[in-house]
Amino acid sequence: MTITSPLDTAPTTRRPSRWRRLLWQLGGLALLLALWWLITDGLHLYPPYVFPSPKAVWTEISYGLWGSGPQDGKLLAAIGNSLRRVLIGYASAVLLGGVVGLLMGGWRPLRDTVGAYLTGVQSVPSIAFVPFAILFFGLNERAVLFVVILEGFIPVALAVSGALMNVPPALRIAGRTLGAHGLSLTTGVLLPASVPSILTGLRTAWSFAWRALVGGELLVSASASLGAQLEVGRNTANMALVIATILIIGIIGGLFDALLRAVEGRVRRDYGLEVAQ
Amino acid sequence: MTRTLSLLTATLLATAAHAQTATSVRLGYFPNLTHAPALIGLERGTFQKALGNVKLDARSFVSGTTLMEAFAAGQLDIAYVGPGPAINAATRGMPLQFIAGASEAGAVLVARRDSGIKTYKDLAGKRVAVPSLGNTQDISLRHILKEQGLKAQTDGGNVNVTPVPPADVLAAFAANRVDAALVPEPWGAALEAQGHGLVGNEKTVWRGGQYPSTILIVNTKFAQANPALVTAFLKAHADAVAFLNQKPAAAQAAVNNQLEKLTGQKLDPRVLQRAFTRTRFTTNLDLGALNEYAALNVEAGYARSVPDLKAFVKK
Repeated sequence: MTITSPLDTAPTTRRPSRWRRLLWQLGGLALLLALWWLITDGLHLYPPYVFPSPKAVWTEISYGLWGSGPQDGKLLAAIGNSLRRVLIGYASAVLLGGVVGLLMGGWRPLRDTVGAYLTGVQSVPSIAFVPFAILFFGLNERAVLFVVILEGFIPVALAVSGALMNVPPALRIAGRTLGAHGLSLTTGVLLPASVPSILTGLRTAWSFAWRALVGGELLVSASASLGAQLEVGRNTANMALVIATILIIGIIGGLFDALLRAVEGRVRRDYGLEVAQ
Repeated sequence: MTRTLSLLTATLLATAAHAQTATSVRLGYFPNLTHAPALIGLERGTFQKALGNVKLDARSFVSGTTLMEAFAAGQLDIAYVGPGPAINAATRGMPLQFIAGASEAGAVLVARRDSGIKTYKDLAGKRVAVPSLGNTQDISLRHILKEQGLKAQTDGGNVNVTPVPPADVLAAFAANRVDAALVPEPWGAALEAQGHGLVGNEKTVWRGGQYPSTILIVNTKFAQANPALVTAFLKAHADAVAFLNQKPAAAQAAVNNQLEKLTGQKLDPRVLQRAFTRTRFTTNLDLGALNEYAALNVEAGYARSVPDLKAFVKK
């Protein structure tokens, strides 16, 4: 007589396959494009200088990315500059946020004072710091970087200090029992235990930094950048360029977020916080 | 024959009924000397007098960009604006007509006194302010740079072309935020009065000074519906230009009064006088210069083709 465990026969509720999800997403995108075409080239509900057609936006994208005229390739240069800036800013923010977070996590008075202020600063939109940054650093890249780092480091610092605080006491006690103290307790037990929460902070920091970058570049539009492209589009009544730039900003931001999300999911599974499908 | 006549009468009646539908004329302009005909017409009340019972609703803007945005949104009927924003807007299909010239030249390149800039060549590696990216002065500056073998940072060169509203240029110079500026008058003369140096005057900036810096545009639909109002406004505009040319002293006082109302500050009369000598006021539209200008716009990368401007000019 064979005994079948209920686990073996239970119907498995499987999530839709990755391909099916992709299919749905592509379908949604096609629908959106069709709607966009209908509103613009189809029914001409808006004049092109207010709401350009998908075709006009595509023309701007193609000129900007792989056009061969003397003035082409500007979007490519803009993307390069913006990415360089955000990567420098983000890396600095992660480093700075990590250090501040560690200090706050380790010392309660710091957490109660600086931690509380940081939460306040975080509620100020990054664009509000741009005039200050311009006066302090001048109309240059440093002003933009300042805003990016300021926006990026706060979520990291708060995530690191919060994660350190939320490490289960049992782990702390176990670490102590095994002879870890001070720095070795932090690096050997507390930090590894905090990695999943810190990763969530890193992802928030990315989206904050990316938004701060575009906002800063919009106001300090001296060298090629996505923000400057928005400003040029606006100044030359070229709405197609404005929408093309918005799309590129969204795609880059989304791709980076997806990358970080994948890393985060992987780590959460490794830590047993999520069951692999 | 009678049928043709009755048809003609009907058309005429329809046109007459169609005309004068507007209850107000919404006018856009900037508080700059290159927009002096607007300032004069407002200060002396000639615009309102010409429009009679139709109310004049005048709105001042800080840049051609915001003005053209209001124009695109249908919030302006007539506007004084630089050829740069006007040509760009026309290229994108905005319903507008160029109906008259307003001023010519009137823009200068000034360098901060300790910037070390003596000639155009010295702009390499420096930070130069223009009122806004893609505006009339920005396009002139990019042309100057090209002639000198220089390039803006946005085009892969080393000249940092940065947008600074003209009214903020004095503060930007004082705070060492910019090294030079290509600005419309009276801001150039005001910078000079503070000891900063003139690098390019109104004649050396472009075309020996033979170029429009402000023109008058009208919304096409408004012009079709209200031809009499447009004609009346044009006449008041011509009066203002004539006043500027015939009675410069009185005109300067009137412009200064209007600037004070708009910005809260009166200019030193000597500054205004110097700015006046660098600006010409005219009702002529120089189509040749406008076409050349559209070509420079393409050269600067702000448009891909030169539009047929003749289609936008109403004679």
